[in-house]
Amino acid sequence: MLAGVLTSIAAGICLLLVVLMLLFLLWYTWPAIRYNGLSILNDITWNIGNQYGSGSSIHNGVAAEPGAEFGGLVFLVGTLLSALLAMVFAVPLALGVALTIVYRLPERLRLPINALIELMAGIPSVVYGLWGTIVLVPFVGNRVAPFITHHFGFIPFLGGDAGSGNGLFSAAIVLAIMVMPIMVATVRDVLLAQPRSVYEASMALGSTSWQAVTHAVLPSVRTGIVGAILVAFGRALGETMAVLMVAGNAINILPQNIFSPINTIAAVVVSQLESAVSDASGVAQRSLAELALVLFVISLAVNTIARVAIRGQDRSH
Amino acid sequence: MRKLTAVALAAVFALGSLAAARAATPILETGSSLLYPLMNIWVLSYQAKNHGVQITTQSTGSGTGISQAIAGVAQIGASDAYMGDPQMRGHRMLNIPLAISAQQINYNLPGLNNVHLHLSGPVLAGIYTGRIKYWNDPQIKALNRPYAGRLPHRTIIPIHRTDGSGDTFIFSQYLSFTTPMWSHGPGYGTSISWPSVATAVGANGNPGMVQACKATPYSIAYIGVSFINETNKAGLGFALLKNRAGRFLAPTASTIGSAAAAMYSKTPRDERISLVYAPGANSYPIINYEYAIVNPHQKNAQTRMALVKFLSWVLYHNGGQQMHFLNAVHFLPLPASIAKLSRMQIAQIH
Repeated sequence: MLAGVLTSIAAGICLLLVVLMLLFLLWYTWPAIRYNGLSILNDITWNIGNQYGSGSSIHNGVAAEPGAEFGGLVFLVGTLLSALLAMVFAVPLALGVALTIVYRLPERLRLPINALIELMAGIPSVVYGLWGTIVLVPFVGNRVAPFITHHFGFIPFLGGDAGSGNGLFSAAIVLAIMVMPIMVATVRDVLLAQPRSVYEASMALGSTSWQAVTHAVLPSVRTGIVGAILVAFGRALGETMAVLMVAGNAINILPQNIFSPINTIAAVVVSQLESAVSDASGVAQRSLAELALVLFVISLAVNTIARVAIRGQDRSH
Repeated sequence: MRKLTAVALAAVFALGSLAAARAATPILETGSSLLYPLMNIWVLSYQAKNHGVQITTQSTGSGTGISQAIAGVAQIGASDAYMGDPQMRGHRMLNIPLAISAQQINYNLPGLNNVHLHLSGPVLAGIYTGRIKYWNDPQIKALNRPYAGRLPHRTIIPIHRTDGSGDTFIFSQYLSFTTPMWSHGPGYGTSISWPSVATAVGANGNPGMVQACKATPYSIAYIGVSFINETNKAGLGFALLKNRAGRFLAPTASTIGSAAAAMYSKTPRDERISLVYAPGANSYPIINYEYAIVNPHQKNAQTRMALVKFLSWVLYHNGGQQMHFLNAVHFLPLPASIAKLSRMQIAQIH
């Protein structure tokens, strides 16, 4: 009884915190919301305005420095593309690893492998970022990108400038590696929660291991896997440091191919905050907060869908 | 395990009380990564003789330097840029020059890093707007006849600063003052709206610029002269820049000095002035005052006295202005007339 009450209180506090955070962001960004209108979502130009000029530009009664424009489309696109591409790399790999752990690995190997996965999840993102800048970016810039743009350039989004290695591709690889452990752990738990008889019955009916997995196991845990992917996707959307270090910090330009420099909402909030604080009108700071609000809403939506999907999976058993 | 925790806790507390026992007046300096190496040398030497003050230095970027000085978090905000009028209207801060610095244009052009390419404001503006896309562009060739055949057909990767930066400020001033297309477009500032260039990359701080330029063949970057040792170690090339008189010059004590000499008499009492693209046949085009951004109202008398004392030492010809300090980072001392203006500003701290 007491435990129940405490749980409700704790849950209530969590909900209250989320609501308060939303309200604060809304209150703080209100001038920016009025100044920017829809351009925060559909304009590519980010310009804090001329800090050494005179006069001001005024939209809807809010004044910013002359020429100020706060378009977030580049960052929105970068956020979604890098997270999506990361999923393209991570999902098949994570599924394979999880299936191997559950159905192929001898019992004595499971423990160390599980420990390793937990360890990977615990590595601070800046470490992945550092590895990305020092090892991955030069490798992509000098080898992978020139090779792919040269030989597969006829495929859309693979041709054109090979760039420097800093960009969408490197960001997606780093993100994929970072979200792998969460995805493997979640899919593994979903698979373990499912009665082993599904796999064994299918095998008994004469299917190969591959058929048992693709025809019997995976369809029965579909929602759980979707949930795992969404949780990982949510993590990838909000990842900041590692992306900041390898994405190329693009500004005012949409990616032309998968090697183009990009920028994400989380990364731009960090990298532009310093410039924004020098904006005497304060609209630049509030516009960064508005971008954070956009990210908050997207993450909230993705996570909610993920929870619902995973809960749906649990109920079906 | 519990014993270990206890020992660790005791150690932490001991360290804490040790710090408290020193009771030196703390001064925080933060900002410009260009001024940072010199600040460190100054502080090290100053602290050796002045034990009553504990000066902490941080390399964060000019934008942070200015904003933290305004917020009162830092006593000295280091900036390569003076504050703009809109910012000054909100917060009347002192912009005190401490030394004269310059900026070089570096590139990573395999096979050509040992030659000094000739570059001009309009060509750099072309590169940073994406109108000049390849290293063998006719406009670059025209400035570099002797090496025209060796310039590769490779995409130029322009690197710019992502943090609010005084280096961005003076670089974009050079482009603005030389190229109408740039001054009507991105203009100048510590943080500007960079034109869309598909291969452009952003880097953080001067150390980040050196690292990015070194790691990226066919890239170009603007880096403060206090990082010459690092850019040399990284094997990067540096350009000779076209000045107002049409000559192509390297940043040397002589060319930086000529440019500064041309601008002394123009410096106003509040010392907020650009030294970029100075007149004179021997004037290097990208130089600037390195500023300490200081709040004239210091709440704490002890802090104020320590701050004034340190800044006065920095401006003293037998103190921080000695050549052996400045040579280490390729800066120049302030001439007597400018040091005098700076001292008059320090006198306003109360």
